[in-house]
Amino acid sequence: MNFDLTDEQQLIQDSVSRFVSDNYDLEQRQAITKSSTGFSAEHWQTMAELGWLGLTFSEADGGFGGNQIDTMVVMEQFGKGLVCEPFLASIVLGGGALKYGSQRAIADQWLPALIDGSRRLALAYAEVQSRFDLNEVLTSARADGDSLVINGQKSMVQNGEGADAFVVSVRLAGSQSDSTGIGLVLVPADADGLTASHFPTVDGLRASELTFENVRVNTNQLLVSGDRGYQVLNQVINDGILAVAAEAVGAMEMLYKDTVAYTQEREQFGHPLADFQALQHRMVDMFMEYEQCKSLLYRATLEVATGHEGAERSVHALKYLIGKTGIFIGENAVQLHGGMGVTEELRVGHYFKRLLVIDAQFGNGDHHLQQFAA
Amino acid sequence: MEIELSPDDLKFQEEVRTFLSDNAYKAGDDANAWRHQWFANAAAKGGWDVPKWPQEFGGPGWTPAQHYIWEKETATANLPWDLPFGIGMLAPVLMAYGSKQQQDRFLPDIRARKVNWCQGYSEPGAGSDLASLKTKAVLSEDGASYRVNGTKIWTTLAHMADWIFCLTRTSDSGKKQEGITFLLIPMKQPGIEVKPIITLGGSHTVNMVHFTDVDVPVENRVGEEGKGWTYAKGLLQHERTGLAGISRSLVALAKLKEQAASVPRGQGTLMDDPAFRSKLADLEVDLMAVEFTELRSLASAQAGGDPGPESSILKLKGTEIQQRLAKLTVEASGLYAAAWGGKNPGPRFARNGMGSYLSSRAYTIYGGASEVQKDVIAKNVLGIKRSDARSD
Repeated sequence: MNFDLTDEQQLIQDSVSRFVSDNYDLEQRQAITKSSTGFSAEHWQTMAELGWLGLTFSEADGGFGGNQIDTMVVMEQFGKGLVCEPFLASIVLGGGALKYGSQRAIADQWLPALIDGSRRLALAYAEVQSRFDLNEVLTSARADGDSLVINGQKSMVQNGEGADAFVVSVRLAGSQSDSTGIGLVLVPADADGLTASHFPTVDGLRASELTFENVRVNTNQLLVSGDRGYQVLNQVINDGILAVAAEAVGAMEMLYKDTVAYTQEREQFGHPLADFQALQHRMVDMFMEYEQCKSLLYRATLEVATGHEGAERSVHALKYLIGKTGIFIGENAVQLHGGMGVTEELRVGHYFKRLLVIDAQFGNGDHHLQQFAA
Repeated sequence: MEIELSPDDLKFQEEVRTFLSDNAYKAGDDANAWRHQWFANAAAKGGWDVPKWPQEFGGPGWTPAQHYIWEKETATANLPWDLPFGIGMLAPVLMAYGSKQQQDRFLPDIRARKVNWCQGYSEPGAGSDLASLKTKAVLSEDGASYRVNGTKIWTTLAHMADWIFCLTRTSDSGKKQEGITFLLIPMKQPGIEVKPIITLGGSHTVNMVHFTDVDVPVENRVGEEGKGWTYAKGLLQHERTGLAGISRSLVALAKLKEQAASVPRGQGTLMDDPAFRSKLADLEVDLMAVEFTELRSLASAQAGGDPGPESSILKLKGTEIQQRLAKLTVEASGLYAAAWGGKNPGPRFARNGMGSYLSSRAYTIYGGASEVQKDVIAKNVLGIKRSDARSD
């Protein structure tokens, strides 16, 4: 039993931390969010060169054989800078689907390009009516010779802009809410009949809505089907939850520490704000809830990485707590920063906006608490 | 990072389980004889009767992981009753600051559970602000004894104690933390009067203790005159980390789920009630998190480091969770929560439910009220220096 990082993980943490402090102050980040794709191609290339994109893929696939703990190390630091590059979309989600899927040929073809940063993926799983249920899939894929013909719509695809292809959940058989009969299929972004509309999200990132009208792909682009389709999607989403939870923990740490620093500088009524006990206790609450999130992040991540019994329950617990606490810490950080807290000028508001998005991403607190209690 | 126990720890866990099952109470055993045998057998294991004592004083010298395993395993076992005052509170002070003579005189009886101690800290005018205490100890002209006058309050089990360890005031000059002296006083003597205080749960656990011209020989003073605050402060830290009770809360939660599943609600049970389930789930999530907060704290102790910032929250979170568990147990009893005493006709767990809940309100008050704990965290962990600082 120990919570120490390995030497390699420590090196990665140091190097990601340095990258964030060199490249991600608020001004630099705001410039990136306003660029055409919403992330920096140059940073993406740096991440590839430093080996971060290959951390969690097997050595046979050209990666470093790491697991969810390595992703946690990276994402926690990314959270401190609100990093915009599509690590979650392309590596954790898109790459995860290839990794867990059953189609070696597609993985062989795509993984080297994902790891060297030359190509990117995005995961299209949500639909207008699905809310947070992964089994709710209306987008259909009908077999026609050696083709699949896809029709339907996908919602809120993170980093759809700039993706070379989409991993799409489709209904191969059964009805709208069945867990069986779901497939994951790889669709090139430039496929005929696929239209994408891109838009910004409140946290400074990007998302897309996709419409499929008789989009044809070869059946060999099906990553997984049958009962396994839902299981793989669930596994990928669980990895995504762990990743955003680590990002949220990084953001929460910055929020409580920024607040402690600000209240010691800012004076009112002839005292630093930090002199007031009402504010002190609020900050202690923020600190305590942050530590609790960090503890549960470690627990869920370690359990998933070691295939521990009950790991899935811990992921639900984590997502619930991260959502609730992220908003608690975010709202209080804004409150304790007073008027400055509600401006774009300080970074607290930006962390808060990311935490608000994370709360709903991959299912909100109510959803996961219900799953946890089920 | 690694969550599994090491092979050595697994072996130890097995050994603890074997010990607990070999020494379990059997129907028909004489409770008192069993208790003494249990501690004797634990002592024979090499200090298992005093797990937290250092090795030089006969403790087992366990690693933090072994302590964790012991807590976890004993949380589900039926243990003989034991009190923390001698073993857990006075003994560490004597070990650190007592004379060799005092150690030889008091520690063996404490370890053998022969002598019951109580703690004389709080006073009517000194609660969370303990350093304001006023119980006076005046040294006689020949320097042979102190004469003690004053009142202690909230003294747990004073009515069953043979001795009391007391903080007394020997000087009013200087800072209030200075001038406090640590004395050991026999309870059964003229001049000491114990008055019961009945708490909300209807039980008599705590007392008021009056001292009138009680003479205490100087050899019963621990350490130097005027240094008692320093000695007691180290002890309070012990007390605070020992109060989180996380292993026991995990057991209590499992029990509460069983109880709730046995409470009928319409055609189903209380566990079908979404509002109740959701509160229970919310509590379980916090408990899962705090369990790992404790493990993180243990792991850093294991590595020989100072306890990290995470350990400061254990008492606050741990006691809050105990209170929420008690509250949900009351909720689970429904209308029967109101029925008072052993004749409660409702579910069995309802008999103690309300009493336990009411007692649990003290958890966030004793050992340093939660608000004082927060002051301490703000200062020591968040590094906030207040210009009008009150607590320390």
